[in-house]
Amino acid sequence: MKITQLLDKTAAIIRRDLLTAIRYRTGFLITAAGAAAELAAFYYLSRAIGSGFRPDGVDYFPFLLVGTGFYTFLVMGINAFLVIVQGAQQTGTLEILMTTSTPAPVLVFLSAISAFAGNTVQLLFYLGAGLLLFGAPLHANLLGCVVIFALSLTIAVAIGILAAALQLAIQKGSALVWLLGSGAWFMTGTLFPVATLPGPLRAIAQLIPITHSLDGMRMALLQAASWGALAGEIGFLALFSLTLLPFSLVVFSYTLRRARLQGTLSFY
Amino acid sequence: MDSIVLESVSKVFRHRPALFNWMGRERGGETRALENVSLGVARGQILVLLGPNGSGKTTTLKLVSTMLLPDAGRVLVQDADTQSAPNEVRKHVGFAVATERSFFPRLSARENLDFFAALDDVPRRSRPARIGAMLDRTGLLDAADTLVMKFSSGMYQRLGIARALIKEPSVILLDEPTRSLDPASAAHFWNLVRELPAQGATVILATHSFHEAAAVGDFVAVLHQGRLAGYRKIADSGVEELRSFYFHATGELDEAAHLASRSWR
Repeated sequence: MKITQLLDKTAAIIRRDLLTAIRYRTGFLITAAGAAAELAAFYYLSRAIGSGFRPDGVDYFPFLLVGTGFYTFLVMGINAFLVIVQGAQQTGTLEILMTTSTPAPVLVFLSAISAFAGNTVQLLFYLGAGLLLFGAPLHANLLGCVVIFALSLTIAVAIGILAAALQLAIQKGSALVWLLGSGAWFMTGTLFPVATLPGPLRAIAQLIPITHSLDGMRMALLQAASWGALAGEIGFLALFSLTLLPFSLVVFSYTLRRARLQGTLSFY
Repeated sequence: MDSIVLESVSKVFRHRPALFNWMGRERGGETRALENVSLGVARGQILVLLGPNGSGKTTTLKLVSTMLLPDAGRVLVQDADTQSAPNEVRKHVGFAVATERSFFPRLSARENLDFFAALDDVPRRSRPARIGAMLDRTGLLDAADTLVMKFSSGMYQRLGIARALIKEPSVILLDEPTRSLDPASAAHFWNLVRELPAQGATVILATHSFHEAAAVGDFVAVLHQGRLAGYRKIADSGVEELRSFYFHATGELDEAAHLASRSWR
């Protein structure tokens, strides 16, 4: 596939998603209001707890801001893959999309890029509002932030593709997203440091890539950590990226072929 | 040379009941949708698939489009195997599905066509003109900028046809394309289909209508319980000749003819 064709397809998918989003006007406004309410709640929560509580050496509000903002960004990105497949099954577009000249993995990948673009805008709005309205301090190693962001994004894409594969295989990809959304959030250091957890849970937390994403992003964004300090988290994230992405693509191709054999492509 | 070839194709759908099936008593077992079907459609010809509900017509179209893969046998489209070269097959095939639920409801007809045309590698520059022409040919030009969630069944059907033709495919699959169309629109559509072979396209059209088969088809294949029950050239066959061929092939009782003869008495 030529690069111009790929760009054309990406533009078509982003245009579709943008047009659909702005035609659901109320939903867009409610999402923005919800994020603002959450920020206010975290601000007053951190004030109530007091300035004596400094997890990982930073104020609690910026700790929460980065933790919840980045965690939500990653989980929503993962969820986007599931929503894309599930939505296409429910609207009946999946089968017909799978007969276009665009290979299925490329199609899912491009759709996710579009979803991630929307989520990135939301994340920037969330962090920006937290910094400007509530005065969270910022000491950033910007290049470090970009590296952590890119590696975390790759991992989120890989897990998202697994969720999409699960949706095709058992029509319940939501189970994986539920596990991340409800089971894993408290172990990844979103609201409080992982060090607070008991030993066995702490060990499991280290196996969840999001733990390293949040730790790395906090260090890079709030403490301007040096490359030497970030090396451990970057190493973990790179390892997860290199193993998870090819694995997820193989699983997705297998489940897609299986769905075509069993005639379950449009089941939901 | 045949553009589309089905060689001893079989397709089985297996039903796996839910956990705790005693609660809902879901049916298990399997459905043999196609059994050892062999067919060929030459370039520039129109093959009509006739058959009762559940006879395997849609399954045949889905197998050619790569939506489904065969359990046995093989399907070739322009010499490319749907199993080993599905991406190559998809470049050639345009599929008008019978379902209305295959568009993005909050996009207009024009936006939907533009989206699918981009995915089908229709060059950006030629898209607006091609989309306009296709909307015109399918009688949707006045509704081009209406969100498709406001469309009627017939309009969805016409948009589905427009989508299948937009990439100018060499193989066109039409699944009950006039099911929701009024008689005038159906006749207009038949003319459109008759023009396709002149543009080098090969067509498979699944229908229940003998009128449609007689109006557009070169050959007819009758499917019954997943098997090829009859195959013949249509040529100048009239509707009654096709009807009689169909009921002879399927072994079903022609109750409509029976009722018609009774009403004359």
